[in-house]
Amino acid sequence: MKSAWVDGGRVRSVELVPLGSGRYRATVDQSTFEVAAEVLDDGRLRLTNDQGVCTVEVTPVDRRRFVRVGRADFVLERADVARASRPRASEDRLESPMPGVVTKVLVTEGEDVKRGQALLAVEAMKMEHLIRAPRDGRVAQVRARAGEMVSGGVALVELQALEG
Amino acid sequence: MFSKVLIANRGEIACRITGTLHEMGIRAVAVCSEADAQALHVRVADEAHVLGPAEPRASYLNIDAILSAARASGAAAIHPGYGFLAENAEFSAAVEAAGLVFLGPTAEQIRAMGDKRAARAIARRVGVPVVPGAEGGDVGALVGAAKAIGYPLLLKAALGGGGKGMRVVTDEAELREAFDSTRRVALSGFGDASVYVEKRLERARHVEVQVAGDGRGGVAHLFERECSLQRRHQKVLEESPSPSLGESLRRRMWKAAMDVAREVRYRGVGTVEFLVAGDEFWFLEMNTRLQVEHPVTELVTGLDLVRLQLEIAAGQALREGEPERRGHAIEARVYAEDAAAGFLPQAGIATRVRWPRGPFVRVDAGIESGDAIPVHYDPILAKVIAFAPERDRALARLAGALDEALVHGVVTNLPFLRALVRAPEVERASADTEWIERDFMTGFSAMAAAPAPELALVAAALAERNGSAHHAVAGDGEPPREAAFRAVGPWRLPGLA
Repeated sequence: MKSAWVDGGRVRSVELVPLGSGRYRATVDQSTFEVAAEVLDDGRLRLTNDQGVCTVEVTPVDRRRFVRVGRADFVLERADVARASRPRASEDRLESPMPGVVTKVLVTEGEDVKRGQALLAVEAMKMEHLIRAPRDGRVAQVRARAGEMVSGGVALVELQALEG
Repeated sequence: MFSKVLIANRGEIACRITGTLHEMGIRAVAVCSEADAQALHVRVADEAHVLGPAEPRASYLNIDAILSAARASGAAAIHPGYGFLAENAEFSAAVEAAGLVFLGPTAEQIRAMGDKRAARAIARRVGVPVVPGAEGGDVGALVGAAKAIGYPLLLKAALGGGGKGMRVVTDEAELREAFDSTRRVALSGFGDASVYVEKRLERARHVEVQVAGDGRGGVAHLFERECSLQRRHQKVLEESPSPSLGESLRRRMWKAAMDVAREVRYRGVGTVEFLVAGDEFWFLEMNTRLQVEHPVTELVTGLDLVRLQLEIAAGQALREGEPERRGHAIEARVYAEDAAAGFLPQAGIATRVRWPRGPFVRVDAGIESGDAIPVHYDPILAKVIAFAPERDRALARLAGALDEALVHGVVTNLPFLRALVRAPEVERASADTEWIERDFMTGFSAMAAAPAPELALVAAALAERNGSAHHAVAGDGEPPREAAFRAVGPWRLPGLA
């Protein structure tokens, strides 16, 4: 069984081959090792490999998996679904960094902007964040109005390259 | 004493106040926005009243709705908590005009201290040094004054506080650019667009003194708290005693705080904040409310500050003489925010929550498993506080408690806090208020960007395979409540069909 996960900025692959009685041959990226898994009464998993034993706990929330390993927490995201459902923020697609209210729209469609220029402002929890152009370009689309509530990760402004 | 008190707040502080009310045999009346109708602070209270839609203006800042709820419930007093209307003079005045008791200072005192310019004048009057600064209604006047004081400066909302609506500006261009947005944040956050500038002291520490006044000129101090560990001017780790003060400086600061409180015949509990550098200190502001970090003072003095507020409001005299202090207490604030992504606030459902237990660990929490974290409010989820006879043991105990804490479903600052309490600078207590952003974040960001361990990926894949991810919610933590049970609850919510 193969799966792919977004871990911070990278995509990582996992393959599990059942060997019977709770043992698996696991391949994570390029490294292959054996691991024994046991489901505990409380739903946690106990994993044993040649490094030792640890208890892990996985909480699924939509595409994300909150994973506790021992005493540390990690957040992974199903890569296949994630890729299909939403394009990632890029130099051309500027996203709302958080849920909040758009307080200012400083540019209009068709306008040329310089790298570092403030395009719009989003306020949440009494903090204002200015969204700036990551490079020179032309505003292809403005997808938010001042006063509008937006969730995190939605596209607010799209830039296109300047001709010539 | 009162038989019923309304708490005009939400989250962990509303839950914490409810605890003391219940201990004193007082019935707790919760208020909530429509978004919070199922929130923990509503569930722990004896009754609840819906104020209005989620936006703070329509709910927790809606004075008329809060007073209606107080009348409907028959509450005799209102506790404002912190934030929202806690430092709003009109609210204090309106509560008292309605014939109710405001568990805090008078409107006049809030006005005097809430306007940071007036507060600085009071401090100067009693001979307490203030940070050089200036005010100005237009950007031109501020630019002129800023030149005389010298950059870098802090641009602050005149009615602000708690680090909200505050901006560092390093030159005239930045001051001009930040002027409008700071005014806008000041207006939306504090209802007044006035701003002022203050000299930014380099490598300063933040130390504050807890005070209490009876409103008749009697004041006492409850020692200091060190709050130098901040990110974006927001405190994340606080402790008492301060590990950085010499004995004579400490005593001078206690006295300065009492002088300021006495000058306004302060009523209730309050905090006088100072910046400290070397052997000097400067008055920063006075917060006329219960502070987020009050638990560290409670643990080292054995006093319940909410009970003290109720006693003062009921007209009881302050105890004579200096209180005793023992041991060391340290608090960490758990926020729904992504420390590795510039501390961006997070919202969502905290599917699975487990708070630490164990001797000498206190948790003031506003959420349990399954609770929503709405986007509309401050992202604080809980405070974890550890007590021990010595600082190093309190810090170790806090580290263990933070390891044990688990919040899944929303990204929190727990990984950041776990790393922070283990930093050598924190162990040595050598950090100033800008150390986190200047030095600590580089290492933390690298750590946060490191790949997750292979076993984390194996765990995610295994959970997918055998579906244990879904029944795993049973864990140690409480399972999410059934929606049907939560909607009905032990009592009915007025205003909800």
